[in-house]
Amino acid sequence: MSLLTLYLLLLKATVTSFSGLGSLPQIRQDLVVTAHVLTDEQLSHAVLIGRSTPGPMGAYVVSAGFLASGWAGAAVGWLALVTPALAVIPLLVAVRRWHHQPRVRSAVDALVVAGGALLLPAGYQLALDALRQLAKVVG
Amino acid sequence: MAAPPLTLGRLVWTVARDVNRTVGGGLASMELLRRAYERAGWLTPAEHALLVAVSRLTPGTNILAYCTALGWLRYRGLGALLALLASSVPATVVVATLSAALVRVDEYPLVQTLLAVAMLVGSALILSTAWSLLRPFLLTSRRVWALALMAIGLALAVAGVTPVRVLLIAAVLGALTPVPVPGPARPETPP
Repeated sequence: MSLLTLYLLLLKATVTSFSGLGSLPQIRQDLVVTAHVLTDEQLSHAVLIGRSTPGPMGAYVVSAGFLASGWAGAAVGWLALVTPALAVIPLLVAVRRWHHQPRVRSAVDALVVAGGALLLPAGYQLALDALRQLAKVVG
Repeated sequence: MAAPPLTLGRLVWTVARDVNRTVGGGLASMELLRRAYERAGWLTPAEHALLVAVSRLTPGTNILAYCTALGWLRYRGLGALLALLASSVPATVVVATLSAALVRVDEYPLVQTLLAVAMLVGSALILSTAWSLLRPFLLTSRRVWALALMAIGLALAVAGVTPVRVLLIAAVLGALTPVPVPGPARPETPP
């Protein structure tokens, strides 16, 4: 598999997801099931490395790239990881430009409230996972 | 004593430091950045809320979008690029190196314990972020509106609706229910 193809496949996964591990099903489909450049075990290994190291959880894409194509693959994985983040700039500019409109302000406020509400189950789930892991280690 | 200004170097250092020292996702990193930046007067609560909102609507990894937006807010293109590099390169180097060594750091009980503690801290930071985002609405006259939106958002999430769809539905509901009275403090108009 060429590096360009690897980049495009990883980018397809990252650009169509909205959280760190959200790209996992697409990466599995493209790299494990279709292209056979990774095994399920390697992908699990990549996820475990990504989850157990500090930093963005989406960084497992770098590991997937490495396991598929070595250091060049890791660089391609990093590129696929960071490319979607640039889309925030036009989004931020647009929101700030129209922020004085009552409806836009209210829409942004609603986004903030809903975003805050969605953090509650995320925080709860992470705490639960941590306590389970602690119990496993201690027990 | 007044905090020093946010130079490009400080932006890069703080982003690299706070994003690459948390385990369990970028939401905890956002909280660390919020605390450091608000304490230094480099970011207002309303600006932080706006950054969280737009970064969650951006495809890919949320914390990278948050840092890119933060860099853009202060230093435009160069700030966005450097903040993106600072937030992603250190973790990338660690992950690639561990992949090359075929090392699984989570195999050791001590590492497992440390990871679990780090995840607990991360969960506390996430809940703290939630409170910092919700507090300005829950303590004003928009309390009922905010509680209704929270209930709808949580119900949709429990029903299996993806977060981005929940956010889009919330945005539409928000646009349909504009309130003329001023809400929490707004970000300043861009220069």
